[in-house]
Amino acid sequence: MGVRKSKIFEVYESDDFRKRKLYTANLVPGKKAYGENIAVQDGIEYREWDAGSSKLASLILNGCTNTGIRNGDVVLYLGSSTGTTVSHVSDIVGKEGFVFALDVAPRVMRDLVFMCEDRKNIAPILADANKPDSFKDRVMEADVLYQDIAQKNQVEIFLKNVKAFLKKGGYALLAVKARNIDVTRNPKDIFRQVRAELESHLTIIDFRTLDPYQRDHCMFVCKRQ
Amino acid sequence: MERKKDFEALYRKNLELTKKQVREAVNEDLLIIQAISSVGDIDKTANLLSKRLREWFALYNPELEHRVKEHEEFVKLVIAQNEKKADDSMGKSFEKEDFGQILSLAGHINSLYELRQQYFNYLEKILKKYCPSVLAITGPIIGAKLFGHAGSLRKLAVLPSSTIQLLGAEKALFRHLQTRGRAKSPKHGILSQHPVMGKVKFKEHGKAARVLADKISLAARIDYFKGQYAGDKLRKEIEEKFGKWE
Ligand SMILES: C[S@@+](CC[C@H](N)C(=O)[O-])C[C@H]1O[C@@H](n2cnc3c(N)ncnc32)[C@H](O)[C@@H]1O
Repeated sequence: MGVRKSKIFEVYESDDFRKRKLYTANLVPGKKAYGENIAVQDGIEYREWDAGSSKLASLILNGCTNTGIRNGDVVLYLGSSTGTTVSHVSDIVGKEGFVFALDVAPRVMRDLVFMCEDRKNIAPILADANKPDSFKDRVMEADVLYQDIAQKNQVEIFLKNVKAFLKKGGYALLAVKARNIDVTRNPKDIFRQVRAELESHLTIIDFRTLDPYQRDHCMFVCKRQ
Repeated sequence: MERKKDFEALYRKNLELTKKQVREAVNEDLLIIQAISSVGDIDKTANLLSKRLREWFALYNPELEHRVKEHEEFVKLVIAQNEKKADDSMGKSFEKEDFGQILSLAGHINSLYELRQQYFNYLEKILKKYCPSVLAITGPIIGAKLFGHAGSLRKLAVLPSSTIQLLGAEKALFRHLQTRGRAKSPKHGILSQHPVMGKVKFKEHGKAARVLADKISLAARIDYFKGQYAGDKLRKEIEEKFGKWE
C-alpha cells in the first residue's frame, strides 16, 4: 500500500481503493502525537488521520475539496481538546505557518502543552472562546478560524471571533453538534437555523454532514468578505 | 522573517502562561473529585474481587459463604479463620497451600476496605473545612459525589435546585427528553442514596429528593459565599419532615 497526494493541500491519502485513509506528513518525524499509525514512503513519514476521531478528516472524506487551510497559514483553533486534530493542522501549515490552539479545560491543556513542546508551531492557550478580549494579546490575525466547541451559543461565539481575529478573505470553519444546541430538535432543523445565522455575516462555500463518522454533526466552511 | 519572530515570541509567551494557568487551576475541588472517584473505583474493585473470593471459598466452606451475605463481613470472617466447618459440609478439605491462596486474596480485599475508610475520613475532613453546611446534610460520600457531578463548589452553588435533584440521573433525563416523555422522567439521581430515602414511603421519594435538593442548594450557596454555618438548622428542617437519620 502506498501514500499519494490528495486533492487537498498537504493532505495525503492511501492508494488502497477499498478503504480511503487520510494522512499528513509528520512535522516531527520519529514522534507520534497521540498513538496514530505511521506509514513511511520514500523516507517521508506520514501520520494516519482517522475520521472517527477528527471532524476535519470526516469533512474531507465526505467530499470537501477546499478546507481553506494551506501551508504557511496562521490558524486560530477554538476547542482544541488534547490536540488530535490540531496536530494534523500543524502538519498542514508546516514550519512556515502557525496554530493558536485554545481550550477552556485545564485537564486537556496538560496534554496539549506536552504536544506543543514537540511541535513548535502550536501555541497552547487556556481561555474561554466566549471572551475574545481575554486572549486577544495572545494571538495574531488569522488566515483561518476553526471552531469545534460544545456550547449552546456556539454560533454567537464563532461570529464574535471571526470579527475579532479573522482577516478579510479568510476562511472560517464551524463544526456543529446538533445535540449541543437542542437535544430534542431534529438535527436538520438545527443545521438550517445555523446556516441562516451564518449567512448574514459570511459566505458559505461548503456544508456537509459528517455521517457516518460522526452522527448528527455537520461542518460549515465559510469565507469572510 | 518578521512573522517568524512573532511566532516564536507568542509561542514562548503562551507556553509559559498556560503552564502557570494549569498549575493554578489545581484546587480543593479537584482533590475532592479525585478522592471520591477513587472511592468509586475501590467499591467496584472490592465488589468484583469479593465475588471471586466467594466462589473460591465456597469450594472449601459453602455453608459459611451462603450464610454471610455482606461482602465486608464475609472477608473479615475468612481472614479470622475461627469458623468451624459443619461435619456434613459440602466443602472439601483444603491443603494448606490451597487455602493460603484464598487467604491472600481476602487480605488484599480487606486492605481495599481500609483504604476506603481512609478516604472517607479524608473527605470528611476536607468537606468539613470547605463546605460544612453541605456536609451536615449529605455526609462525605454523597456530598463529594455531588461535587463530582457539578464540577466544583461554585458550580454546585449556582445550579438550580431542580438540577441538583437530578445530578447523577443525566442518562435517564436524556432518555426522557429524547423520547419526548415516553420514557419516565427521573425523580432523583445521587440523592436516591441519601439515608432519608430509606425513611420515607416510595411515593414520597420525589418529594424528599426535592426538599433535600433545596436545602443542599441553600447550603452550597452559604458555603461558597462563606456565610454563617447553617448545617444543623437545615438538617433539622429536613428531619422534621421525614425523620432523623444517622
Ligand atoms: C469535541 S471537543 C474538540 C475536539 C477537537 N476539535 C478535535 O477534533 O480533536 C470540544 C472542546 O471544546 C472545549 N470547549 C467547550 N467550551 C469552550 C469554550 N467556551 N472555550 C474554549 N473551549 C471550549 C471543551 O473543553 C472540549 O475540549
